[in-house]
Amino acid sequence: MKVAVLVKTALDTGQLRVRDTVATEETPLKISDIDRNAIEEAVKLKGQDKAYAVTVLKWGPLQKKAQEAENVLREALAMGLDEAYLVADERLLNASHVVTAKALAAVVKKVGADIVLAGEATVDNYTGQIPARVAAELGWPVVTYVRELRVEGGRLIARRDLEDHVEVVEVQLPAVVSVTREINQPRIPTLLAIRAAMKKPVNRLTLADLGVEVAPRIAAAYKPLVIQRKKVVIKDGTPEEKAEKLIQYLRQEGVI
Amino acid sequence: MKALVVYPNRELLYAASTLGGEVAALVFSEREAEAVKGVAHRALVAEVDPRLPDAVAEAVVKAAQSYQVVLLPSTKNGKTVGGLVAQRLGAEFLTDVLTLRVEGGVLKAERYVFGNKAVAAVEAAPPVVVTVAPGRFQGQPPAVQTTVEKVALQAGSKMKIVSVEEKARGAVKLEEAEIIVSVGRGFKKKEDLQMAFELARVLGGQVGCSRPIAADLKWLPEEHWVGLSGKKVKPKLYLAIGISGQPQHIAGILDSRIIAAINNDPSAPIFQNADYGVVEDLYKIVPILINKLSKTKG
Ligand SMILES: Cc1cc2nc3c(=O)[nH]c(=O)nc-3n(C[C@H](O)[C@H](O)[C@H](O)COP(=O)(O)OP(=O)(O)OC[C@H]3O[C@@H](n4cnc5c(N)ncnc54)[C@H](O)[C@@H]3O)c2cc1C
Repeated sequence: MKVAVLVKTALDTGQLRVRDTVATEETPLKISDIDRNAIEEAVKLKGQDKAYAVTVLKWGPLQKKAQEAENVLREALAMGLDEAYLVADERLLNASHVVTAKALAAVVKKVGADIVLAGEATVDNYTGQIPARVAAELGWPVVTYVRELRVEGGRLIARRDLEDHVEVVEVQLPAVVSVTREINQPRIPTLLAIRAAMKKPVNRLTLADLGVEVAPRIAAAYKPLVIQRKKVVIKDGTPEEKAEKLIQYLRQEGVI
Repeated sequence: MKALVVYPNRELLYAASTLGGEVAALVFSEREAEAVKGVAHRALVAEVDPRLPDAVAEAVVKAAQSYQVVLLPSTKNGKTVGGLVAQRLGAEFLTDVLTLRVEGGVLKAERYVFGNKAVAAVEAAPPVVVTVAPGRFQGQPPAVQTTVEKVALQAGSKMKIVSVEEKARGAVKLEEAEIIVSVGRGFKKKEDLQMAFELARVLGGQVGCSRPIAADLKWLPEEHWVGLSGKKVKPKLYLAIGISGQPQHIAGILDSRIIAAINNDPSAPIFQNADYGVVEDLYKIVPILINKLSKTKG
């Protein structure tokens, strides 16, 4: 089965510096965590066929980040994907999600796939909208928040993890599927696999290569989230004394 | 701006009313149409299974033509419908918005980004699809006259629901709890959580947990899980025990009135996010807390 995985080369929010401003340009890229689960599932599903990663670079500056994105994709390749496609184009930085989805779908159409896998949401923006958008663009069914899946004679049977219940659903392939972190335990690539990944192809594409038109950019400005907490830390004394102090504070606040 | 509300509830209808235009509610049965009478200008009835995102999206696209904003709840199906609709309308999709207003014909909103380290101010020209973070829009939609109409549809769904399994549910309603004693990986064994349950009982609170406790270790059912991908809570006291305080956990507790933390690592990030922190081994201090509190509480 031929599988495409949407791998977001996301900002590593763990390394994001927020003081007076939010320094996105200096923040390194990494694989959006939940996409690792999509990659793992792809490697399990592909059998004799090929599985590839597609990413649209959303963060600039382009030159620097395109190189970083390539390195990130090498990690996906080391986990067992066969080939990667990186769409890097100045006009995609902060482009609307409509265009991002068009670019992703265009790569899938170009390369072909029986199933497109993605993580339920990305770790930087956490909007979770891309899988459904790509499905709409391809005209394929979408099955979101999947924690277990099985393919049987051209049909996909999946368990969707919703708020209060789990739904077992069925669709015909091709389909787009978004997975949750519960679906599997992503493998950690061996040194050998990492070396082998250096030789696998990472193809760079532009919007012109894909024939995708650019819609207006979405305007976004970021400011640090300022957390106003009292930050009183009790560190001296015996456990007994510390407990007493904590109780006192909580009584003063009127919460116990 | 004229707004179409899908899967309507009070909060969404109120948020829609603040945009200053006509408000329509897309519902899935006559009974639901009855429920929005008096709080939406129009009730549009589409007879589709609300559990099928593609069928709902089809109805929304059909009804959305005369609206500039489509509002949905921030649920998993809400987001799936939103993504499908946004792409088909060529629209921007703003998810989990905390605020929403119209200025100069443009919709402006704020949302948390980057693992809740930052707030993004985003703006988009209509048409726009929006999901609203729960609990952020408190108010009553104004009373209006409602007309009821049908949305005619042909297309079916590509997805078939084979079965539905309810998740195990206890008596836990973290969203409504006044006091939450929350446990993290600082607990070494499942049995040790008993301490937290005991402390919660003495305080008259409920037990919450970080993701690994529910998702990886499965020591507690998922209904206890607090955070970005878990429950968003707003108790008057949130007591985090043996929780490091990663941004994804903090994301669930931002609206707590007082946050207290117990952690044996003085550099644990939870202390930056807490009102009162105690640097101590939980195994030493929790039994003392139980003892002291149960004495004074009788
Ligand atoms: C996309 C995504 C979504 C996520 N969603 C969520 C979510 O919704 N909720 C969530 O919680 N996490 C979520 N996470 C995971 C999150 O990043 C952290 O991994 C998790 O919150 C850590 O849990 P913890 O604090 O219990 O464990 P740890 O980080 O392992 O922390 C344990 C803490 O216990 C302390 N400790 C150890 N022993 C003792 C002792 N004897 N006494 C006192 N203290 C002790 C340690 O100092 C440490 O600070 C998500 C991650 C991702 C990538």
